[in-house]
Amino acid sequence: MFIFEKRTQIPVRINNKNPKLAGIILSQYGGPDGELSASLRYLSQRFSMPDNMGIGLLTDIGTEELAHLEIIGSIVSQLTCGEGAKSFDRYGVGDYYVDHSNAVYPQSAAGAPFTAAYLQSKGDPIADLTEDLAAEQKARATYDNILRLSDDPDVNNVIRFLREREVVHFQRFGELLNIYQSKIQRT
Amino acid sequence: MENNINGRQLLQAVNEASFYMQDLQLYLDTHPNDMTAIGMFKEAAKQYKACKEAFECACYPLNAESSRDEECWDWLRGAWPPQKL
Repeated sequence: MFIFEKRTQIPVRINNKNPKLAGIILSQYGGPDGELSASLRYLSQRFSMPDNMGIGLLTDIGTEELAHLEIIGSIVSQLTCGEGAKSFDRYGVGDYYVDHSNAVYPQSAAGAPFTAAYLQSKGDPIADLTEDLAAEQKARATYDNILRLSDDPDVNNVIRFLREREVVHFQRFGELLNIYQSKIQRT
Repeated sequence: MENNINGRQLLQAVNEASFYMQDLQLYLDTHPNDMTAIGMFKEAAKQYKACKEAFECACYPLNAESSRDEECWDWLRGAWPPQKL
């Protein structure tokens, strides 16, 4: 089960408003390589991992991704909090405002709504973990792109933390994949 | 305002202890026989519990089960994400 703790994994304190930047960062909420995609991927794949090491690691990383989803939602919300229709329009994101106003909706930066088609759950630990390694690199690359597009230090500090976590997850998934591959080779 | 600054420091201590513990947890998942890391994890877990308790005494409950006010439902108090403390 899951227990909620009333804090974000690291503090989110954004001072400036910027609906355009919010729309870019929203991709890590409901986009193809975003945190929702990551958490659903691992929390679904865990049911078919062959042992407790696999089930445990996917559960723990999937749970951390949910904490990251909350961080991204908080950034988007703070960047748009109190901004009206005119401000969204001035920043070039009036089309988001017309459907969602100041709400946080899971979609990509280009406006495609979240879909489970972004992820796979194959029932084959080698296939699943290979996907997970790629997923972590794609998320890392997306954070790199966000850092290229954003010059808000309050935002970038948090994004850098999230980027680093993708690298750690990649490392752990790689270790698990190696353990499984050497088990197969011994049989 | 002073309360907030103190609260922020106490929350930062919770975040740091919790993060240290969580990172060790992932490491231990793939290195379950590393006795040094197991010792570090146990220390980190103690630290986290102490920091959480200190924050909750001074500020507000982080989990519903830490609710301690007998006169009102204090679980709803405090900064819910995305609110800032």
